Amino acid sequence: MADSRRYFDEIELGEEYESPGRTVTEADIVMFAGLSGDYNVLHTDAEFMKGSIFGERIAHGLLCLAIQSGLFTRATAPYATLGFGGLRWKFKAPVKIGDTIRLKAKVVEKKDLDTHDRGLVTLDRTILNQHDEVVQQGQTDLIVQKRP
Amino acid sequence: MTAALTYFEDVVVDNVQLTPAITVTEAHVAMYEGLTREMPLKSGDVPDVLALCMVIGLGWRVKDPPMVVQAFVGLDWKVMKELRVGDTMHSRSRIVSKRALRDGGLVVDERTLLDQHGEVVQQGKFTFLVAKRQKEASA
Repeated sequence: MADSRRYFDEIELGEEYESPGRTVTEADIVMFAGLSGDYNVLHTDAEFMKGSIFGERIAHGLLCLAIQSGLFTRATAPYATLGFGGLRWKFKAPVKIGDTIRLKAKVVEKKDLDTHDRGLVTLDRTILNQHDEVVQQGQTDLIVQKRP
Repeated sequence: MTAALTYFEDVVVDNVQLTPAITVTEAHVAMYEGLTREMPLKSGDVPDVLALCMVIGLGWRVKDPPMVVQAFVGLDWKVMKELRVGDTMHSRSRIVSKRALRDGGLVVDERTLLDQHGEVVQQGKFTFLVAKRQKEASA
């Protein structure tokens, strides 16, 4: 079977991708609380949150970060990714139950690594909601294999 | 009586706390895949972002009362090595700095994810907006 993954050499600076949308539901938040163990009132206490600046429960920031990680795989052909190097990230606005988020990403840096079979690809990533407001934004570093 | 909480004023710079450990299982990875549609890079790997998510959850399971987090502001994060299914992780927290704002304050909390061998798997800094104590309401 043909290898459809994209290697470091083939990824070009300035490439841009946009994912489909995904509606964040109450079920997502409940599942994420169970999976991560983060039961903070921000995400789980509807009554308390009525009196907060948000007015209702909000999605975990890391839930949306995890969702965008999955949305990336739906935005472009898969990279020949060997690992995740790290990220620098800002949570800019809350995501509420029923909001629909999508990812925009752009390749902003490519760097050779000491081991010659791989390189580092840095992407600017922006998560937008249905009103086109930026809810999260940052950069991620992916370690991508070179064509063997 | 309400539960004890850690407000901005109570946060102590350089305070270190260790969480209990948790074994990362196939079930965690399967749930994560269903939730996010992000697949592990290879069979038996734990997706790095899943491990990061579990750091946040473990962070609440410490002896100090929970910080009154009003918002998660951002993070700077590095992945040093991969975590495999069956590994047992725990996390260490160290308060790096705090800075008062008019309402609440920013707290930078360095988190380190360690495996069962004590090796650093992931590490970075979380920035939280933490509430100040309510002043006595004036008449």
